[in-house]
Amino acid sequence: MPTQTNILVIDDDQTIRDGCSRILSKSGWSVISAENGQKGLDEIRNPRGEIDVVLLDLMMPGLSGMEVLEQSLQTNPTLLVIVITGYATVESAVEAMKRGAYDFVPKPFTPDQLRIVVKRALERRALQKEAAFLRQEREKSLRDIATEKSKIKTIMNSMGDGVLVCDQDGSIVLTNPAANHMFQVSEDDLLGKLLTEAHLPPELASAIDKSLKTTESAFTSISQELSLGAAEEVHLRAHTAPVRNDVGEIMGAVTVFQDISYLRELDKMKTEFIAMVTHELRAPIAAVEQQLTVILNKMAGEVTEKQEQLLSRAKERTKGLLDLIKDLLDLSKIEAGKMVQYKEPLSLPEVIQRVVDLMRAEAEHKKIDLQFSAPSETPVIHADRNSMEEIFTNLISNAIKYTPEQGKVWIVLGEEKGFVKASVSDTGIGIEEKDLSRIFDKFYRVKTAETRQIVGTGLGLSIVKSIVAAHLGSISVESNVGAGSTFTVLLPKESTPMERMKGKQE
Amino acid sequence: MARKILIVDDDPDLVEAVTMILESKKYAVAAAYGGIEGLQKAKSEKPDLIVLDVMMPDKDGYAVCKELKSDPTLSKIPVLLLTAVVSKISTTRYTQQMGLETEADDYIDKPVEPEVLVKRIEALLAK
Repeated sequence: MPTQTNILVIDDDQTIRDGCSRILSKSGWSVISAENGQKGLDEIRNPRGEIDVVLLDLMMPGLSGMEVLEQSLQTNPTLLVIVITGYATVESAVEAMKRGAYDFVPKPFTPDQLRIVVKRALERRALQKEAAFLRQEREKSLRDIATEKSKIKTIMNSMGDGVLVCDQDGSIVLTNPAANHMFQVSEDDLLGKLLTEAHLPPELASAIDKSLKTTESAFTSISQELSLGAAEEVHLRAHTAPVRNDVGEIMGAVTVFQDISYLRELDKMKTEFIAMVTHELRAPIAAVEQQLTVILNKMAGEVTEKQEQLLSRAKERTKGLLDLIKDLLDLSKIEAGKMVQYKEPLSLPEVIQRVVDLMRAEAEHKKIDLQFSAPSETPVIHADRNSMEEIFTNLISNAIKYTPEQGKVWIVLGEEKGFVKASVSDTGIGIEEKDLSRIFDKFYRVKTAETRQIVGTGLGLSIVKSIVAAHLGSISVESNVGAGSTFTVLLPKESTPMERMKGKQE
Repeated sequence: MARKILIVDDDPDLVEAVTMILESKKYAVAAAYGGIEGLQKAKSEKPDLIVLDVMMPDKDGYAVCKELKSDPTLSKIPVLLLTAVVSKISTTRYTQQMGLETEADDYIDKPVEPEVLVKRIEALLAK
């Protein structure tokens, strides 16, 4: 938007005023005149428009030019004043410049001289305006930054999660009140301190140190659980991650803490609940089944054939209930991560052999040929022994259950690309295509005329699947209806130190 | 003379059922309905074998077993642990084999099949 340029001429000489007005108007500038110093000052103090440049005669009756100069600069320190010196004396011009005048023009002057001087002043004026504008912008963005900073601070301060930031040297540069509260310290105990002197849990300090020193570009974060407090009653989950700059250099590390004490409390309640269920639900059913067993064994007197039939069925039902409770408890333990927490180097052939021995009686009872073959050397896996026994107990017992008498069940161990492969095959009734995708679902049971007699909870395979997943393995099934099924489990081999190194180099 | 078996379980119904099984096999049976009573009866009744429940409110089977085995006058009595523990047989078997939790001589899952119970008892008494 083009703004009007205003020039104020203060001179007691009408000819000068008119002359200036004429000359400057030709350049498109608007001219305001004042016939003495006082009127000129009034114009400066209460301008009708913004005054860009003042032309000021030094020699005037009344208020002198020097006084007008001083007072107008007091009003507006950035005002550009060009003094008109009547005697062409350098002294008065120098004096005026000393007092803050921008330039001078000696009398008499030509129109061109005047225009050049004014033009120069206007250029200066433009620069002034530009600078003022930039200053304003800068102040505005500084204000924005300050607002942004206070926003972040407000968010950090009101967060329930703790935050701790370290620079690349490992000194703590930022914490929030939640973090200070979790560690029961004041901000001063942490800020500016090195990790090593801040009395933080050693495993936390080492995780931060590791994040700062990592050389792997793919390194993302370390997650761990910390127990604090006199009775270790505060449980925190801590995520530590390096902060990188544009070129990927590590600038520091951020750790975020979540208080998970209430989760631990829930976990404890769950464990207690499980114990309660075990005793309060399982014990009475076990007692009922025990009593039925005694009657059925004719230890409480003779039993008629009809009574025996009914009681046998009642006993089957209580057995089913007990199995269901066992499976439910196993499943809840697996889901709580309890079942697979004791991983150790394991020899799978040894585990399977033990399960096969346990199952042999059941197989012989149905005249099923149960076979197990393993290569002379099988790689060691890193797994939880109970869980592995659980997997193969389930798979082999299923195979026996769903295979008619005189059938065959065989287990083969082998290797496949970094995995140990175990397959359990049978010559059983097989599984229909439509059921194949659902057999690993909780409580899913294939319902056909043949399976109706078979007792089960529908949880076995979903337990197996959860365990396999917890060991980073996989399970698959192939089946032909009427011919048999094969369940194949893949479990990762335990890598040797040499292999781990090789993997890193690749 | 009939061999005497002490059955320790806080569930009277279970004690009764097991008693009937054992009596049908001509064993003399003494009963205790808790861990502490079990320890007293072990001393007073001098049984040839103890069938001991694991989960009991006053003193559990593991603790009772430990005390029995540390008492020189009782440590020779075989202990058959009655387990109704949450996990499946494989788990129990594992803890048994590792000797992690008990010094019991054998264990059997509740509810028991009469033949299995009697076989286990005969085996322990034959030792």
